[in-house]
Amino acid sequence: MKMSESTSSSNPTRREETAGLMKYSTENLVPFGPIHPALKEPEYFKLVLEGEKIVEVIPRIGYVHRGLEKAAESRPWVQNMYMFERTCGICSFVHSLCYGQAVEELTIYKVPKRAKYIRLIIAELERIHSHLLWVGLMGHWAGFETLFMWVWQDREIVLDIVETISGNRVHKSMNAFCGVRRDMPENMEDHIVEKMKYLADRARYYREIIDTEETMLERTQKVGKLTADTVEKLCAVGPMARYVGIQNDVRLNDPYSAYDEVPFNIVTRNEGDVQGLLRLRLDELVVSADMVSYAVKHLPDGPIRVKIPPTIPAGEHSSHCEAPRGEIFYYVKSTGGRTPDRVKSRQPTLANLPAALEMLKGQTIADVPIVLTAIDPCFGCMDRMSFLDTETNKQWTWSGEQLRQYGIKYYKNRR
Amino acid sequence: MTFTEVLEAVVFPGVLFTIGMGFLFDWLDRKTAARMQGRIGPKITGPSGTLQPLADFLKLMFKEEIIPSHADKKIFLFAPALYFLAPLLAIQFIPIISLVPVAGFDYDILAILFLLAYAAFVVAVLSYSSASSYTTIATGRLVLQYVSYEIPLVLAIITAVLYSRSLSVEGIVAAQSRLWNIFVMPFAFAVYIIALMAELEKPPFDIPSAKTEIVAGWLTEFSGRALGFLKLTKEISYVFGSALAVSLFLGGPLGPLIPGVPSAVLYFSYFMIKLLAVGFLIFVLKTALARIKIGQATELFWKILTPLSLAQIVLVLAIIQEGILIAR
Repeated sequence: MKMSESTSSSNPTRREETAGLMKYSTENLVPFGPIHPALKEPEYFKLVLEGEKIVEVIPRIGYVHRGLEKAAESRPWVQNMYMFERTCGICSFVHSLCYGQAVEELTIYKVPKRAKYIRLIIAELERIHSHLLWVGLMGHWAGFETLFMWVWQDREIVLDIVETISGNRVHKSMNAFCGVRRDMPENMEDHIVEKMKYLADRARYYREIIDTEETMLERTQKVGKLTADTVEKLCAVGPMARYVGIQNDVRLNDPYSAYDEVPFNIVTRNEGDVQGLLRLRLDELVVSADMVSYAVKHLPDGPIRVKIPPTIPAGEHSSHCEAPRGEIFYYVKSTGGRTPDRVKSRQPTLANLPAALEMLKGQTIADVPIVLTAIDPCFGCMDRMSFLDTETNKQWTWSGEQLRQYGIKYYKNRR
Repeated sequence: MTFTEVLEAVVFPGVLFTIGMGFLFDWLDRKTAARMQGRIGPKITGPSGTLQPLADFLKLMFKEEIIPSHADKKIFLFAPALYFLAPLLAIQFIPIISLVPVAGFDYDILAILFLLAYAAFVVAVLSYSSASSYTTIATGRLVLQYVSYEIPLVLAIITAVLYSRSLSVEGIVAAQSRLWNIFVMPFAFAVYIIALMAELEKPPFDIPSAKTEIVAGWLTEFSGRALGFLKLTKEISYVFGSALAVSLFLGGPLGPLIPGVPSAVLYFSYFMIKLLAVGFLIFVLKTALARIKIGQATELFWKILTPLSLAQIVLVLAIIQEGILIAR
């Protein structure tokens, strides 16, 4: 009661707005997560419902905070590369690539051309694998189990190719500073080109299913509608921006690796709904398959790696790459030692989440899994720490030592 | 009631046989879906995994039963048994090994309609009794889905009743001795199958138990024996629904009689072939479709299927009036 009286000020703060939710009865609040069959990772969304319709979504993130950035500060440069690869179980390679690129900029060494091409091949294979996984999951969440099973069977082809090249299915561990660890196996060329052709055909077939299957159309068309203005305002990245027609792609806007040498078309769509996202990702799959074929055919000769010393010169640098889910960002700072002073990573899911919440409003509860999945969320990647006091709108950061002291104090007081 | 009649009601083709068929349907369902999706399906328990559903059921029998603290305990414990009774009673009105059902009477179609409504009501009540957010939403969806599919379902059954001029399953089966009803009223059969899929909560109508949205729907809070029996009842309803489709539209156990072979064996074989064909039709449809939303389901049933079944009734009445195709 007291709470509602204090909200009479003209400019209510976020905390008061949250408290304002008290006006909804608890029967209308449906918890979605942290453990829910539709989420592959724990994350909590409080849904305020009117019947079946969603009027408000309150996210609570941070369930899979693993302290990777802090852990990076106590590990040698090279170990971090393989640790950051474990940020995500789907788009693992692009993390090590982005971190590696940021560190490489601090050194005087250059990446050999052949290594750049191999990096591109692995990154695009990863995109194919990630998009296929996503299309399958969309089928699963729309209650279309058969699509899920078929797509995941095709995904095995990509995983097999990745395994032949790198020795691993998911965490490829292919990257090294200024190069890659393994060369492409010999006589793989024809095999990869043939399989890529097959996958592109399959992608076109799935596109046909999605365009014609009546039940699937009913579930995805006009669901999660967003306009280009809203998307731009909410700073969504990657496919989430491309599906309303914004050309947001790091591969095109700021080419890294060999993306300036391999020709490709950027796919954008204008539907602005979940159906558009499905079409976009399936079209991108065809483009990626073509890119892999081209890169394999035009693989330059030469060394695959330049050895660099274990210490990195002092300085700071950032790098960004186009992960399957959108732009990822790494910032590294070195004081010239054997370990980084600070590493910061920003994952696309965090950037896409505000847009996803906007997409959810006005939909029914039946749309929640499909819309939330449409952004291809990866909460394990996303959960990082930052401070934002909503009362005073003040932002600050703490050093590791300050945070440690705060933790000690907090637990002392609790006891 | 003679001893044979009791045996027929309890063992074959009554309760035990129906339960066995429920397990068989479960296995066929899983196997068909698996083969269509490029998987293998149940394989290890029994020949080709046929005993897997039974093993799953027995496993649940020995699991701990958890009763939510908010639940209405009496209904929560008692309603699964009430639900279990519905399809077991209803199947007694279906003729399987002869042209006469185990427990038929002159107006047993009405009893079947009552049992269908009763089953939906019991599910709604037991779902609401477990009092969690997910089951509350599931109850809403369940009731809405029920009012959506019931009208076309009943209209489809009434079409068969009108054409056969009989309110008993026995009479409807007997009236099909020359021409099966499906050839007279194909749309009624189609509407019946679609409404049946909604009743059984098979995709695309698995809305009240959509696992990716509301966990397990109205089954969410159940565990142990109750869960085992509820799942079994769903399978038996499946068998019953298909058996009713066979009786109403496909001539029940009717078929050419061969001299020298006992008629019971032949009737039973014909019935089983038709039953499995209807079951298989539903397995394939459910595997090939994605789930729709509750509003879309209601629209489908009210805006498309109800007018279609009404048109079918008018057509059938015209056929009777004109005396064309009269097979009696």
